[in-house]
Parts: sequence; C-alpha cells; structure tokens
Amino acid sequence: MRIKEHPILSFSKGRKVQFTFDGKAYEGYEGEPIAAALHAAGVMVLGHSHDKQRPRGFYCAIGNCSSCLMVVNNEPNVRTCTEPLKEGMVVETQKGKGDLR
Amino acid sequence: MLEKTGVATEQDLARVTPSKERRAKGPVAVIECFQRIPCNPCQTACKTGAIKEFKDINDTPEIDHDACTGCGLCVSSCPGLSIVVVDETYSEEEALVKIPYEFLPLPEAGSFVTGLDREGKPVCRAKVVKVLNTKSMDRTPVVSLAVPKDMSMTVRFIKLNDYFSDNTIVCRCEELTMGELRELIRKGYNTVDEIKRISRAGMGPCQGRTCRQLIMQEIAAATGTKMADLTVSTYRPPVKPVKLGTIAGGEHGE
Amino acid sequence: MRTTEIAIIGGGPAGLRAAISAASMGAKVTIIERNENLGGQLVKQTHMFFGSQKQYASTRGIDIAEILLKDLDKYKDRIEIMTNATVLSIFEDGVISIEQDDKYLKIKPQSVIVTTGASEKFLAFPNNDLPGIYGAGAVQTLMNVHGVAPGRSVVMVGAGNIGLIVSYQLMQAGIEVKAILDASPRIGGYLVHASKIRRMGIPILTSHTVKYAHGTDKLQKVTICQLDEKFQQIPGTERDIETDVLCISVGLSPLTELLWQAGCNMKYIPELGGHVPVRDKDLQTSIKGVYVAGDVAGVEEASSAMVEGRLAGLCAAKALGHATADFEELHNDCIEQLNSLRSGHVGEKIRKGLEQVAM
Repeated sequence: MRIKEHPILSFSKGRKVQFTFDGKAYEGYEGEPIAAALHAAGVMVLGHSHDKQRPRGFYCAIGNCSSCLMVVNNEPNVRTCTEPLKEGMVVETQKGKGDLR
Repeated sequence: MLEKTGVATEQDLARVTPSKERRAKGPVAVIECFQRIPCNPCQTACKTGAIKEFKDINDTPEIDHDACTGCGLCVSSCPGLSIVVVDETYSEEEALVKIPYEFLPLPEAGSFVTGLDREGKPVCRAKVVKVLNTKSMDRTPVVSLAVPKDMSMTVRFIKLNDYFSDNTIVCRCEELTMGELRELIRKGYNTVDEIKRISRAGMGPCQGRTCRQLIMQEIAAATGTKMADLTVSTYRPPVKPVKLGTIAGGEHGE
Repeated sequence: MRTTEIAIIGGGPAGLRAAISAASMGAKVTIIERNENLGGQLVKQTHMFFGSQKQYASTRGIDIAEILLKDLDKYKDRIEIMTNATVLSIFEDGVISIEQDDKYLKIKPQSVIVTTGASEKFLAFPNNDLPGIYGAGAVQTLMNVHGVAPGRSVVMVGAGNIGLIVSYQLMQAGIEVKAILDASPRIGGYLVHASKIRRMGIPILTSHTVKYAHGTDKLQKVTICQLDEKFQQIPGTERDIETDVLCISVGLSPLTELLWQAGCNMKYIPELGGHVPVRDKDLQTSIKGVYVAGDVAGVEEASSAMVEGRLAGLCAAKALGHATADFEELHNDCIEQLNSLRSGHVGEKIRKGLEQVAM
C-alpha cells in the first residue's frame, strides 16, 4: 500500500518500472528499494530462513539485519531493503544460503 | 497519573488553567506541559513576554495569563503540541478552542466535527470556525473550534467524522435530524413525549422503535441527566400499525 | 593510498555537524556514508525537534538535514563526501578500509571521528521473526522515506520517545495504531508526546508486554499480557489483538564494532545503551586521534548528537593544528549546550552514564 497523501511529506518518486518477482510481473518506482516496491504490492514474505524454513520479511529497512536477502538478476544474497529497483529486474525468492556462481 | 497514562490529572491541570476571571476576559493560551524536558520554543515564540524567560532550558513554561493576548504564536511552535488557546468570549454559549492539527484532510471551516477530550473520548460536537495554515506555521495548522462554553477546558482534539452531526437522521420515519432535535431540546422540550408532540418523532410507522433510544441519549447528554432518570414516553395502543378498517370493522364475530 | 586529515565515519546529524565544524576550522575532511544520501536518521524525522534554537528546536528533523547540508556546502572545497561507502574496518595503524560500489578502498586519515550511530534492540518472544514484525526505525523508513504503509494496523511495543513519535507518525500516514505497550510501569518518552497520542484515543498500556505473535506466513494477531512490578508476566491477563504489524521500539544500542577494532577502551554502561568508549572532555577515546560523537558514544537525542559532533569536529581540527582565535569560546559553548540539554530530569540517566566513562 502506498501512502497517498501526507500532512508533512511529499514523496518524489522516480519513473514507473516493470520487474518480475518469482516469475510474476510487478510495477514499482525506479530507485526505491526492491523490498519497498514488493511491500507496496502486498508482498510481505521475501524469503525463508535457510535451516528452519521460517518466512522472512522486512525487518530493519536499512541494510543491517539481512532478513530481506533475495536473488536479484541471478545474484544471491542481495539486501533488497536498500538495493535500488531498476527496469526489468528479475527478483526471486532465495532458497538456502544462495549459490555462488 | 500522567506518567502512567499520558493523560493530565485534575491536579496537573489546576496548575496551568487560567482563572475563570481571566478566561472571561478573552483569548488566552493554556500550556499543558508538565515535565522538565530540554525545550523552549514556546518562550522564543512569545512576543508579549507572557511566557517568562527560562532560567534553565529544562524549566516547564511559566506563563503570565494576564500578559497573554492569546495570539497563538506558541501553539504551532510547540514540538509537543501541548498548547491551545481558549476564548470564552466567543459567544453567549460557545467558547473557541484553537488546537494544532497535523493531519489530512484538514477540516473545512463551517463544518461540524466531534470534539474529543484528553483521552480521545467524544465529548461534544464542535463547529470548525477557522483553519489557519500559513507558511510560518510550518505544517502545523491551527484549527479554531466553537464548542459549548463548559467544554473549553475539555476539548483537546477532534475527529472528522461527526457522529454528532446536525444532518444525522435521528427519526427515520419522520426524518427528524440531530440538528432539529438539538434545537428542540435547547428550546426546553426535554422529554421524549414533548419532542414527539412537537416533531412527530416516534409517531411514524415504527412507532419510536428506532428513534426513542437516540432521542433519550441526546436529551441525557444535553441536559446532563442520567438515562435512568429520564421520563419515559407514554406507550399508547396500538403497539403495531393496523388498518383503520380493521378496527372500524369492530370485533370479529360481533 | 588516499589520505585525508579527518575521516568522519557516518553522515548522520553528529557526523555532518562534525564535518562542518572541523572544516570551518580549516581542516580537510572526508565523510564516509554507507547510504546513498547524507542525513542519517534525520531524513525520516517528520516531527519538530526539542531543545533550543541553537539545536534547531521547533524545526522538523527532515528540514534540519537540509540545513546541515547547506552548511556543509559552504566548505565544499575542504569536504570530500563518499556515499554508498561502508567502512569495513579500522586497523591499528589508523588505516580505514572501505567498500564502495563493489570496490575495495583504503584511506589513511590523521584522525577519525566515529559517528556510526546506533541500531535497534530486539525482543525475544515466540514467532518474533514473522513478516509484519518490524523495528520502529524500519517502519519510519518505509513510510516516511519510501511512502509505503507497513500495513493496516499497528501494535507498538515501547513507549519511549521513538515508540511514541512513530505511533504519531503512523496515524499521520493514515494507519491505525491499536495500542502502545511498555513493560515499564511508567511512560519513558516525553509526556507531551504521550498526551498527544492519548488525545487521539490510542491506549498506552504500561506494565504490558507482547507474549506471543500468531500467524503462518505473516503476522495476524498478538497476545499481550500484563507484567507485575518485577516484570514477570501475570497469568490470566492475556488478551489478543488482531493486527498485521507489530512494531518494536525497545531502545537502541551503540554501533561500536569499529571502536572495538581500533582498540578503544570500552565500558558497559546500560544508561548509555550498552558498550561505549571511554572518552575525554574533547570526545577523544583512549586511542589518540580517534574521536566519537552521537549515539555511538551513548544513546541520546539527536539534539545532543549534533552538539557532540560539533565539539568533536572542533577538537579534532585543533589537535591537527587548525586553531582559530575563537576556539575556546566555541568549545565552551558546546559544553554549555550539552550540560543544559542533559541537566533536566530526563537527562539524569545520561549524566549518570557519562560520569562512568569520563577520562
């Protein structure tokens, strides 16, 4: 959910871009964190923990906690809470600790 | 206790409430700031010197109510939004309360809103008289509310959906509105029966089953009477609408 | 290897203020900031700050960030700014290693001012890792920086200033706050913040905590319960609140990893949020040339962080030979401001903590 109006802030957003998450098409604003775009689209579960398979979402939002690690354009362990969204990104849920290529 | 609840107690308020005499003279700032914290913008904003110079930045503000003109400059400068201006000379029956309001949408002047107390409980309806939102107020607009005079030291926030609205329908059969009902109560019709006779509320097809309770609540609120102590309306036959012919036809088989 | 006179690690309120004051004395400064933008946590503070005019009281945090950036610009010929640059380590010889845009760099400064701030503390309860449970700072970032609502309704844990302020900001963003809980029997934040929340009808439940979070793939409900005076849960007081967001605001701990690496003498001071460096009145740690300012030196308000930054900047520049005639005056002004910000009832805890780390 996006905040439409705010008494103090005005949000300046980049242009709209398309990306995919686990194969499905999504839309977000260029430059905003990938996880923020997913969150705005209602995606709360960004992955699962590698051992106990517990769902993982946004926690710290500033790149501290690594709860938001995902595979972006084939690269695993991307901190999506700070990684800026770009046109055509392929975002995937990460299984396990991610494969080194 | 304030430290436990976040709501000022009567003792807390007694320390900062301007005297009745002062309130009767015109607008005055009421500063509900009770804790020593490092903060002094209200003092810096005060142009009349009514808010006294702080010896220590942690001092709680001390205001000379007689020197205060109620200009309201301190209201939007207070980072804690703890200051309101109260003007009990606004009209015969109403006082003006000016509150800081940092939410959207802003209420519109002329509209009615619900007045809330320090715990967010609805206490009365309030008419929005003015919304001031200048550049120097830096996104802390000040909303002027007309409230019943005895609510001047009670109303501290508002809710925009006005369940006390004048346009709210009380009696759906006879289409009596809350505003009309209030006007009647104000004129002295303060029992359900009197209201019924003058407005027909309760005489429609539902026979008061929808409106009776709402009317009683409003009378109770307006007159300060407990629901239990109100005079109940007279219940006349028939208790259900019937065709005149049914009755005119006489008892079946007679 | 690149060199600079003073490296400032962290471009938040303390770091920016440190850079401005050091550069104003004539020092060459390099700010190293891990984010894309400077300003640190100021960029999500929509509320008006406390303090006095000297600390920008009554100005909103977001606007204070702008003011600091303008001031910074005045000395742009002496200030180098590195963004998207994370300091990885401080070595014993004073060399700093940095990752910037996937590249590895090293800088050798003559002095360093560490202004890395603090991170949020976590709370242990069953299912505390469910999506929908966030740190209060994360909620602020999400809604105030990115304009995205964390959910429909929120239960806040912690009635300190951050918990109270974020609750108010949630309401401003149109998100319902169902309740604010605090384990302590008293509200820890400023009472004016608490009153402002209560007027909106939001309950503040002191002596309460979250006992359990429910949900399969995301938060659906929390069970809260009451605590006795020894902070033990009282059986039978449990109740459920349906909510899709639980926000945790139970304090901050200083981000001191780099200070440990540098070999600074550290002490555990609960009043200041955890392990903090011992420092002298110039904010220099036990390691010569390593200064601290802001939350990393002890968790406080941003107002004092800015004054500390200014003080550390002045002292670090002077130590490198950049003395100006008004140094003593500026130095005393900082000390006086800090003393007054900490002199009240709320500052008591800070004063007690600082006594134990003074060198």
